[in-house]
Amino acid sequence: MLTIWKHECKSNFKILLIWSLSVGGMGLLCILLYQSMEGSMKNIAENFASMGAFSDAFGMNTLSIGSLKGYFAAEIGTIHGLGSSMFAASIGISILSKEEDAHTAEYLFSLPLSRKKIITSKVAAFFSAILGFQIICALLYALGFFILGETPGTFAFIAFMLAQLLMSLEIAAVCFCISAFLKKNTPGVGVGLALTLYLFDLLARIVPALKNFIFLTPFSYCNATDIFSKIEASGWSILLGCLLLAACLLLGFIIYRRKDLAS
Amino acid sequence: MKNNIIEIEHLTKRYGKHRGVTNVTLAVQEGDIFGFLGPNGAGKSTTIRSILGFLNYEEGKIQVCGLDAIHNHEAILKNVGYIPSEAWFYPEMTVNQLLQMSADVRKVDCRAEKEMLCEKLEMDVNRKINELSLGNRKKVSIICAMQHKPKLFIFDEPTSGLDPLMQNTFFELLSDYVKMGATCMLSTHVLSEVRNYCNKVGMMKEGLLLCTDSVENLTKSSAKRIRMIRNKEKLDYLYKGNMNDIYKELAGYDIQDLLIEEPSIEEIFMHYYKKETSDVNNMEA
Repeated sequence: MLTIWKHECKSNFKILLIWSLSVGGMGLLCILLYQSMEGSMKNIAENFASMGAFSDAFGMNTLSIGSLKGYFAAEIGTIHGLGSSMFAASIGISILSKEEDAHTAEYLFSLPLSRKKIITSKVAAFFSAILGFQIICALLYALGFFILGETPGTFAFIAFMLAQLLMSLEIAAVCFCISAFLKKNTPGVGVGLALTLYLFDLLARIVPALKNFIFLTPFSYCNATDIFSKIEASGWSILLGCLLLAACLLLGFIIYRRKDLAS
Repeated sequence: MKNNIIEIEHLTKRYGKHRGVTNVTLAVQEGDIFGFLGPNGAGKSTTIRSILGFLNYEEGKIQVCGLDAIHNHEAILKNVGYIPSEAWFYPEMTVNQLLQMSADVRKVDCRAEKEMLCEKLEMDVNRKINELSLGNRKKVSIICAMQHKPKLFIFDEPTSGLDPLMQNTFFELLSDYVKMGATCMLSTHVLSEVRNYCNKVGMMKEGLLLCTDSVENLTKSSAKRIRMIRNKEKLDYLYKGNMNDIYKELAGYDIQDLLIEEPSIEEIFMHYYKKETSDVNNMEA
């Protein structure tokens, strides 16, 4: 099992580095730009806070973009949320289907390992990649705060990163479950799903009729402006996220264990 | 009495509405090189893939080395060396990394065997998989299947893509392993491979197992090839029936030459795959 986990981690390593350094690097750059933009940000913060639906969607009615907290939540929080969800989706959607798409399933499943062990190793590898992504990004943001000499609040920052980790795992688990049905590696499906969930979160914050359904998207409990404004996330959305994560993993296992492997 | 290494009883596998295999029952005994013949789509690969646990079958029972193929899948694969018909591996890996990964999963030190196999098959282990030709990928597949010295080999068209020299080397290696106690099930389209290297043969057609027998018995089947010059006319056909009747049949003719011999494996193969089996009695060459 360890051999397969190592192999999966190795094959995910390049994509992990590309995504985490891109998203984390962009976040770091934004943090470093904060000082030079601080003055002008204070001037436009009021305008941003009074832009109606736009301000609601990005939470600028609750936090001032002129503060590091507000700036981090509005700018880096959005970039990070989108980046980590797309990374998780692209890893999750391909974890099983890539073997059949690349015709390597026959080699992998002819090794003396049960399907359960192979799937467990693969799930552990994508959990590791997602955790690695969050750690690399968190370290890069922390480096930015260190250089800046200011933090947006340590506890809120940790809470934000943990919520992002849960959201990424949930999206990856949903994509893993979809992957169990697929014979072709289609990362577009996963990325599309992540973007749809993000869009639904934005809309639910603007459209009153959708507000009650916001718990359906994992972006509802990991929204940076909510976390940094200390607005408590709905317990339902977190519970639903955890249940969905577990259910998708279980379903993916059951489907893939019974699946006929394509040659 | 030799033990059965593979025992398949009434295996039936369907792909939705499509036929896979129907009611296949066969046994491969210890020390056999069992040739599995059949045209494309006959169900050979479905049978092999069911043995290896790649497919879930509806009916039947498969036992390998006395173990149930579904419940003891992992234990069975420890003793199996498999060569798929198309050898695909992770393109970013080197040959050495791939072979090492296979050995690591099996928790076996295969270095000595790997070196011997790489030398015989002229394989450079430092090359990346994505740099390899089809034939070289096949060689990697052979090394992968043999390096842990399994008790059972399951080969699906193992020589496709190999040059004739490498084909010979492959069969020499296989013979050596069989002499050391291994058993082999070999699916192939190449009849000469069955004739030259297999002691048993099973023939499949349209999902059904038509026959299993020793190659020797099959070539000594009731059909005989008859070549003759009769009334200055050359005749060449397969005859199936009572041999005494043939003399009565020929009695009224002027026979210049007559040869009665066992049909070749190719002829038997063709006989089984002809749609109209009645052709056997009078199959003009």
